[in-house]
Amino acid sequence: MAAEIAQLLLAVIQGIPGGATNDDLTKALSDMSAASRVEGLNVLLKQGSIEVLKKGEKLIYRAKDPQKKSALPKDADNEEKIVYSIVEEGGNKGIWIRDIRMKSNLNMTQLNKILKNLETKKLIKAVKSVNASKKKVYMLYNMEADRSVTGGAWYQDQDFEVEFVDVLNQQCLRFLQMKREGAEKKRDGPLAFKQMSCCTVKEVHKFISDLGISKVNLDEDDLETILKTVVYDGSAERILQSDGTYVYRAVNLPLPAPGLVQMPCGICPVIKNCSNCGDVTAINCQYMNDWLE
Amino acid sequence: MSADYAHLCSSILEQCFGKVVQSVADCLFSATTRTLSQIVNSTHFSRKEVMLALAVLIKFRLVNFEPSKNNPFLPEYSLRREDVICLLRYSRYIHLVQTKYGNVGASIAEELLNAGSETATGLLLKCLSDGENKAESAETYRDTFIKMIADHYIIKIPELMTDNESEDAVPRFQTNECDFFVPPNIDLHLLAQIRKGEATLSKALDGAIVWSLNYDRFHQEFRDDIMRLAMERKLGENAAECFSFILNLIYNTTDPWQRKASNQITFVEIKQAIERKSNNLELMKFLDQYICLITDDSLGFLRKVGDMGGGQYLVDMEKAFESLALACVESVITERFGSKAARIFRVIRFKKYIEQEDLQKEAMIPAKEAKSLAYNLFQEQFIHVKVIKKPGGGGSGPAKAFYLFQIKEKDTVRMLLDNCFKSLYNTIRRSNYEKSEHKGLIEKSQRLDSIVETMKERGESDEYIAEIVETFTPPECEILKKVKHRIKTLSKAEMTLDDTIFLLQMYQHHCTTLPTGIQKFK
Repeated sequence: MAAEIAQLLLAVIQGIPGGATNDDLTKALSDMSAASRVEGLNVLLKQGSIEVLKKGEKLIYRAKDPQKKSALPKDADNEEKIVYSIVEEGGNKGIWIRDIRMKSNLNMTQLNKILKNLETKKLIKAVKSVNASKKKVYMLYNMEADRSVTGGAWYQDQDFEVEFVDVLNQQCLRFLQMKREGAEKKRDGPLAFKQMSCCTVKEVHKFISDLGISKVNLDEDDLETILKTVVYDGSAERILQSDGTYVYRAVNLPLPAPGLVQMPCGICPVIKNCSNCGDVTAINCQYMNDWLE
Repeated sequence: MSADYAHLCSSILEQCFGKVVQSVADCLFSATTRTLSQIVNSTHFSRKEVMLALAVLIKFRLVNFEPSKNNPFLPEYSLRREDVICLLRYSRYIHLVQTKYGNVGASIAEELLNAGSETATGLLLKCLSDGENKAESAETYRDTFIKMIADHYIIKIPELMTDNESEDAVPRFQTNECDFFVPPNIDLHLLAQIRKGEATLSKALDGAIVWSLNYDRFHQEFRDDIMRLAMERKLGENAAECFSFILNLIYNTTDPWQRKASNQITFVEIKQAIERKSNNLELMKFLDQYICLITDDSLGFLRKVGDMGGGQYLVDMEKAFESLALACVESVITERFGSKAARIFRVIRFKKYIEQEDLQKEAMIPAKEAKSLAYNLFQEQFIHVKVIKKPGGGGSGPAKAFYLFQIKEKDTVRMLLDNCFKSLYNTIRRSNYEKSEHKGLIEKSQRLDSIVETMKERGESDEYIAEIVETFTPPECEILKKVKHRIKTLSKAEMTLDDTIFLLQMYQHHCTTLPTGIQKFK
């Protein structure tokens, strides 16, 4: 009997995508008594096919996506359901344990138990954030973590892969320089030379993908960040095009190594302490001795 | 003026003029002006010695004097601190003149530098009697001298005012702007007479007109060279040639030491100049493209300001030297802290203000390393931190603050310049030390050389000479070789260091409003 009522109610609720209020239900099913309606709604809530929302003073019943609820096994208890739904809300950015506790109003021990339980059931997973190494965030098990959490292609288990970035940086630079050399050979005037030595991100992307040095799939945004580091190394220039995109080209430094760094004083770590007296002087300087030998 | 610069000046002056001048200059360095008795008191030299030292400094245009404000009969002396470092650039000046005017010009410049300042007749006399270029006639010397004046490499020092001698106890100078480069009248006949000993130098009519090298003109040439070289490295030879034509055109209408930017020139003017003087076909063919390239380049040497005459351009000195000085700072950072640190520096430069977290993301450097590099740079004053505090917080917890990295170029350059001064001082000091440490050895070898020389002249037998040479033992020889090598390395370092100093000084001249060594004919 209750199941039938529930089916009727669900049909009505599903018919109103924004969610049905109590008034909607009484209007649609006018022959149903209030008591049996409550009973039916409770059945639906228990099944997890609808959810209750509060809008102002009114309660709204909304049908849930049947695919979503299927992830949670039938035997899950209420607390688990709540925690699961909170984690679900967190999406691919994940949610911090403290926020779960605040939202669910569960105490710490209980929450820990539930989270552990859900983790062993492979319903949710804990992901370490790259921004704060001690901060664990939870998200659904089958969710791909957001770039802001994992740090994108440059992180392996929240460790920044320095070598990988360095290799890419060198390869990008090599590509830009190759392009420049290629342009130098053709003598079509300076402006043509400049244009030919410019590379778009797409070209660099193709070059890097063809090289096959990366196991991870790199997209163009990733390469743009790498190209920016080449620019920050002073080996390339970033030029704004008229259509709002950027192109890159290899350039030479405008100055040869300055005279200051050709002698030890220019790179001396203790130059601040160097004076006529004391432990650091030009006469007993070890750097100077090595240099003059 | 920093303490480092004071040390440097002191040691340069000691090297050039000796102890007395050094202490007189030290005394003047630390004060705006001093009177003679004040100098005598604080240096503990006799009045006569101090007077002589002052005379030398005045002759080399390193000291100015003016009547005191309170007492018109009392002269006050002041040191031209910025010019002291020019003493180290003498070899560069001579080299420049050598390439422009050949050996004759070089010997004129050399005599002029050795004398500090000199009358035209006196100078030519010295050059002729020097005898290195005996083949050259007095006319060649005179013509080169006049040519150098016309090109502003030599300048007339303001004449003493002689008309109202009754009034002034302290001599005054007559400064007349249009008079600086008027060619003198040199009496070659008298010159010949003096050389033969039939007349004396005091008979020369130009005794009151004294000439000296015009440092500013040389510095202008050095500065243009820096810019031209940068252009060549970045955009190739043709662009560099094009740019040097532009610079020459600019000087027709602009004071070369105008601080921010030059006056404007048009494309047509540039084209005409290049067509007239250059035979670089490729440059002529692609001239508009080269100009466009130089204008678009990130160094920012040239700026387009209008469309008149095919495009109006001006040379942006401020931007140019900002780019160059920062490039210099960046390479210093690369050498001193590694390329990752240079990357961090550039990130901050491009972003103006940036937080620690964003910094490491932008530079793609692991957090720990980025932090340590940034803090190192901060500690050595290459970068600075700006703190933005959020008001309030109201006692509960600490007030929120943002720490943003930024670059204060002027401070960084100043710091680096002081470092250069210190390094230069160190090389001089070390070189002096090496010389005094092995003084005996160096003197011995010199003595030996002169003995061998005279023996060869007397025609002594080779065996005997070899015997004498052998008194200089192999270990001694070894040490001497080492010491000579050290001194050579140090003096080479002095030269290259001065390049950096010059570049940074140019930055200070063009990008700040600080007073600099460029005095414009004072």
